[in-house]
Amino acid sequence: MEVHSRDYRARARRIITETPEVREAVNNATRTFVDHRREAFADCDENALSGWAEGVKSHALTHLADYLEEAEARLVERGAHVHWAETASDVHQIFEGIVREHGVRRVVKAKSMLSEELGLNPFLESCGAEVFETDLGEYIIQLLGESPSHIVGPAIHKSLDDTRVIFHERLGTPRDASPETLAKAARGLLREAFLTAELGVSGGNFLVAETGSIALIENEGNIRLSTSVPRIHVALVGIEKVLPKWADLSTFLQVTAKSATGQPVGCFVSIIQGPGGSTGGEPDGPEELHVVLVDNGRTRVLADPEVWEALRCVRCGACLNICPVYRQTGGHAYGYVYSGPIGAVLGPGLVGLEEMLPLPFASSACGACAEVCPVRIPIPDLLHVWRQRAVERGLTSDVERSVLGLLTAAATRSRVFGWAGKMAGFFPEWIVRRLPLLQEWSIGRETPRADGPTFRELWDEGIE
Amino acid sequence: MKRPEQTVRPSVNSGTRASSEPKHERGQRVSRDARERILNRVRAANRDREPVSHPGPLPEAAEPPGPFGEAGRADPVGSFESCLRAAGGEVVRLANEEAARRWLEEFAGGFESASVCTGVPDALHPALPGVPPSEAALGVSLAVGAAAQTGSLLLSSKEGRRSQLLPPVHLVWVRAEDVRTTLGEALQACREDLPATLALHSGPSKSADIGQILVTGVHGPGRIIAAILGAGGVRS
Repeated sequence: MEVHSRDYRARARRIITETPEVREAVNNATRTFVDHRREAFADCDENALSGWAEGVKSHALTHLADYLEEAEARLVERGAHVHWAETASDVHQIFEGIVREHGVRRVVKAKSMLSEELGLNPFLESCGAEVFETDLGEYIIQLLGESPSHIVGPAIHKSLDDTRVIFHERLGTPRDASPETLAKAARGLLREAFLTAELGVSGGNFLVAETGSIALIENEGNIRLSTSVPRIHVALVGIEKVLPKWADLSTFLQVTAKSATGQPVGCFVSIIQGPGGSTGGEPDGPEELHVVLVDNGRTRVLADPEVWEALRCVRCGACLNICPVYRQTGGHAYGYVYSGPIGAVLGPGLVGLEEMLPLPFASSACGACAEVCPVRIPIPDLLHVWRQRAVERGLTSDVERSVLGLLTAAATRSRVFGWAGKMAGFFPEWIVRRLPLLQEWSIGRETPRADGPTFRELWDEGIE
Repeated sequence: MKRPEQTVRPSVNSGTRASSEPKHERGQRVSRDARERILNRVRAANRDREPVSHPGPLPEAAEPPGPFGEAGRADPVGSFESCLRAAGGEVVRLANEEAARRWLEEFAGGFESASVCTGVPDALHPALPGVPPSEAALGVSLAVGAAAQTGSLLLSSKEGRRSQLLPPVHLVWVRAEDVRTTLGEALQACREDLPATLALHSGPSKSADIGQILVTGVHGPGRIIAAILGAGGVRS
């Protein structure tokens, strides 16, 4: 997937000014998620849960190599093929082999953000395969030629009417079709795809080392179908998804679902240990299971003494839903597969800070994301780490550096600061609006006017 | 992503590639080298880091929702029923096999055909024409367990998955003694004999992806009915 994060400012401005309906749709959806999440944790000791989950994930990450080897051994024992991929092109090569060997013509895909990260769909299509996204939200944006705008709800930026229009054009449903009619049309078309596809592709929410289990959470049943009906199943799993023990799984399934959508657990959970069918001695299910363990920048994040904690992320999307900045634009402004606060923390680690600027600055540092994180990733601190590094590496703009340099010079000299504060009050508003840094800030805001004596003057007079 | 894409273009240059080894073998070799490099990087990354110890099992007081408490422990079947119903599932309690047969006869009357998983005892098969799962109006299976905490039915792929997934309505038999209090206990009970896929079904298939409006029966069954055997008396 291409990264367009450097255009964040322009993209955000375009979304806000040209498509105000996106902000409305995103606000509605994220507020609903937030309400449901709050209700789901109302009767829980959220602190105890997040503290425990943080501990398990940090333990898994600090013992990651051993657990990956354990998971691999269990999967191989059950007859699964385990592949390791350092980069997107490694993953492509693995898929190319499978597609060629089995003459794959149709692929059904369960929702997987990792597959987006790896640019899998265009690659599979270049191999001559027809690719069907089967999650309803993913299917809608696939028809529209867009990318997911949210980790959990890929199409939350789209309204009912947007879907009516595209389904009318592509599936021939009535222009005023009900959501039920639209879902039924998609079900019919995708059911045919499930029954005829040779290959099913999924991601993996968790990889349990002790049992070699891949766990997947969903609501529609499309993941169960993608991993059960086609003859081959390939699961893409980021190496950071490890859970040490079978006994850890039940709580993570619940915490992730509660945090993502406010459900006690997803309507469907698949816990996959190996291939089914005749290979697994079962009546049906895929004859072949391939598990691809993907690095693609994750070892670089793990090696980072400060940012490695971001790898605890379970991709629940709670930090996106609560973020006042994300809510203004939705995910497309970020120009990267993982948007919102967690994207701004993970992206610079996975891809590189230079490519991801200015995402770590696209935050008001309000700290709400850290409060809702079910694995206690200190997101605001990590954003701050990236901001500091951007300044240290000279990646921020020259203007910004000189202005902040001047400000520092003034603020560390008492008399200069006092004089500058007084002078600021004499600048007419049109000048303030044209000053660097304030220029962007003052769009859509009243420029504050200095009025009367300054604080320092009042202080000298003696404040009553 | 950052690195230039060295994407192997299919068809274009596959014939001209120098290597003569079959693709899948070359793929495995690439993967073996990648494995060593990834594991080495992971070990190097953790070398100077203080290992974090596993916090152990989640304390029972922290089990969601809240301290699960006496009520949940005293009546797991009741808790299971409330939780599955809240997610849009249906529950019927059947005191004994005779009651189950009577209920099934009436229930099956609403369907034209069925696809029954191999795990279901003969006595619990509906008297309906058997058809392939993709054509059946009703799928019937037997759960290997259930969890009150999340209203989940645990289904094994050993009995076949298509009948659990393809028909629009899914009837799941579950024995009252297999209903555990927490999801953790239910999963633990399956730990020693894991099928290729252990699935949790905790409600009908649903989606809110179209304009945030909830619809059911999107891909999987739009109705799920848990028929609890040996549970006595239908709770009002």
